[in-house]
Amino acid sequence: MTMSATNHPTTRRGFLKVAAAGTAAALSRAVPAAAAEKTITILHESSFIKPFDEYVVNTLAPAYEKETGIKVNYEVTSVGSLPTRISTIAETGSGADITMNGLLQVIQFSNKYLDVGDIADDVGKAQGGWYDAGREAVVVEGKWKAIPFSNIGQLMNWRTDWFAEVGVKKFPETWEELYDVGKKLKAKDHPFGFELGHGFGDNHGWLYPLLWSYGGSEVAADGKTVVIDSDETARAVDFCRKFFKDTMLDDVLGWTDVSNNKAWMAEQISCTNNAESILWFAKREFPEIGKVTDQAMNPAGPKGRFHLLNSISHSIFSFSPVKEEARAFMRWLMAPKQLGGWYAIADSYYQPLLHGYDNAPMWNVEPRNLPYREALANAHLPGWPAPASRQLAESVAKYVVIDMFAKACAGTSTKDVIKVAASQLKDIYRSA
Amino acid sequence: MTIASERVLVPVHATRRASLSVLLDRQDVFSWLMMALPLAFLVALVGYPFFYGILLSLQDRPVAHAGTFVGLKNFVTNAHDPIFWQAAINTFVYTGVATLLKMVGGLGLALAMNQHFRMKNLVRALLLLPFIVPTVLSTVAWLWMLDPAFSVVNRLLVALGWPKPGPSWLGDPTLAMASIIIINTWRGLPFYGITLLAGLQTVPSELYEAASIDGAGGWERFRFITLPLLRPIILIVTLFSVIFTFADFQLVYVLTHGGPANATQLFATYAFDIAMGAGQLGLGASVALAMLPALALLIVALTIYLRRE
Repeated sequence: MTMSATNHPTTRRGFLKVAAAGTAAALSRAVPAAAAEKTITILHESSFIKPFDEYVVNTLAPAYEKETGIKVNYEVTSVGSLPTRISTIAETGSGADITMNGLLQVIQFSNKYLDVGDIADDVGKAQGGWYDAGREAVVVEGKWKAIPFSNIGQLMNWRTDWFAEVGVKKFPETWEELYDVGKKLKAKDHPFGFELGHGFGDNHGWLYPLLWSYGGSEVAADGKTVVIDSDETARAVDFCRKFFKDTMLDDVLGWTDVSNNKAWMAEQISCTNNAESILWFAKREFPEIGKVTDQAMNPAGPKGRFHLLNSISHSIFSFSPVKEEARAFMRWLMAPKQLGGWYAIADSYYQPLLHGYDNAPMWNVEPRNLPYREALANAHLPGWPAPASRQLAESVAKYVVIDMFAKACAGTSTKDVIKVAASQLKDIYRSA
Repeated sequence: MTIASERVLVPVHATRRASLSVLLDRQDVFSWLMMALPLAFLVALVGYPFFYGILLSLQDRPVAHAGTFVGLKNFVTNAHDPIFWQAAINTFVYTGVATLLKMVGGLGLALAMNQHFRMKNLVRALLLLPFIVPTVLSTVAWLWMLDPAFSVVNRLLVALGWPKPGPSWLGDPTLAMASIIIINTWRGLPFYGITLLAGLQTVPSELYEAASIDGAGGWERFRFITLPLLRPIILIVTLFSVIFTFADFQLVYVLTHGGPANATQLFATYAFDIAMGAGQLGLGASVALAMLPALALLIVALTIYLRRE
């Protein structure tokens, strides 16, 4: 049956006619459609604050499409997978037009990013100027390779009710004072829990600031000379060991980033170092814990008070087929109306790096978040005082400084852990 | 002319056809023809990435930058890297202990499953569960079970008088290594068990009957009949298991990310951290390739042994 039908000349001719007409129609429709339907794909790491991602999909993207006819495709990648995803896109030259950057991506991928100095300049001028911290993570060899978006500060989270049990109403000012409080609290079965394992953020969030506040650092300002082997580092390591031993749970040595959140909600720990997400989550899911959760700046050491710069930013890939459209979109996105709305949706989990938002209403929503704003003044990248470099990314990925502290806590001598860290860092910074 | 040429052409055609079919009839030609497609597939999907990996390992190749040839420099860097050596030792300990446990446990499991009992088929099917559940999912479940605050084991131990909060499974370097070995064993046991069970069922029952008549006890029957007949299967399963375990990644990545202080860092996780975290693709490839000689040696040794059998 089928055979004879296809072999029939009229049927075949008829089919050809229909096919030709169909193709012509499809072509004539396809041409104007392709011209109108431009799409910008923006890659983002999944936010701990759900409404933040939803705001782009439900509010910003539709608004932009309505204004310009250009579709905005917001692609979300899971927490921790952003570097891998950007690597793939940068290596293959396709997959997204704009990407969010975490701490180290601007340095690693800068030669695949457009210089966006003009946009950053205009945005800065219009909205009160950039924080120094904003510049620190995105300017590579004098060029703005990304537009800073915000910091996701890592600060102290503490239980007011348990601190009050040992007579402490205000968060301690120095590491030593915090140590004394922690010792008392551990005796009352309310230990501290600071990550010393291989997570992405909650370990760096307090260990680099601790090192700096005792006067140590991994490399000198020239970005070449390894200076970790110092008395200052030794004092920081000694402090860390006793801080771990006398105030914390043993389990922190194996913690990753989820662990302290879990322990907090299980009411296992009385103090930790984390981003605002702990308070955000507690308020919504465990309101009783939320009521007794407060936040404070990192304690000071003999050489001052420091925080980890954990900024995120946006870059445009130089190989994007819609470069100019992407630039225009970034200008639109960074305008006060859009930017302010996007910040506000997440309370202050994303701390603006523009002074124009220093007194924005978003800060009034939750006064317990105010320390995150103050912390921006002394926030730095892990390799500080050296500028951002590929070597610093390698040192972070190899957990050199984290493991120096962790091994000391597990019982290795201060001299030995510093020696190992110094030799590792020398190997890493040799190529600088 | 036309007619003549046609007459000439016919036999030529016929000869060509004949020679083609003769050619196809030759086994060496035909077998190569049949193998061409799978071979092309292997070259594209296994060969290319493999040789690209080797090329990468000989380069200084930061991500998103062009590479420069550096010879064996990356391997020299690794040789001086204490974490590399720690990862090497960890990988061998992890693979060795987990494989041994899986082998012994799997054999026991297979022997038990080979008995007759009620709902045998259902139990056999359930046994495969750890192997079927996606590793990331089951590992997250283990993550909760190893958390001192939530762990059933810790609650039990504390109830029995262990000081609170009980052992820190992932915080203590030795316990962390033990934990990942146990989870790997838990996950890999069904693979061993089911494969060996299939092997057991091919052992003719007459052999056991004959041995029993000759006065052999349970242990003798196992030692002189079961074990020798199972040996080829045990070898093959072990070969597969060693390869999978040696290159394991997901379990450690989810559970400890190589911590505490690299106590559970394996070749695969370390290579990933260097290539993806630090953006040093060349150095990362050289770490991954360091797995090759050990694995190749093992595979060659096992293949030779199997051939001889």
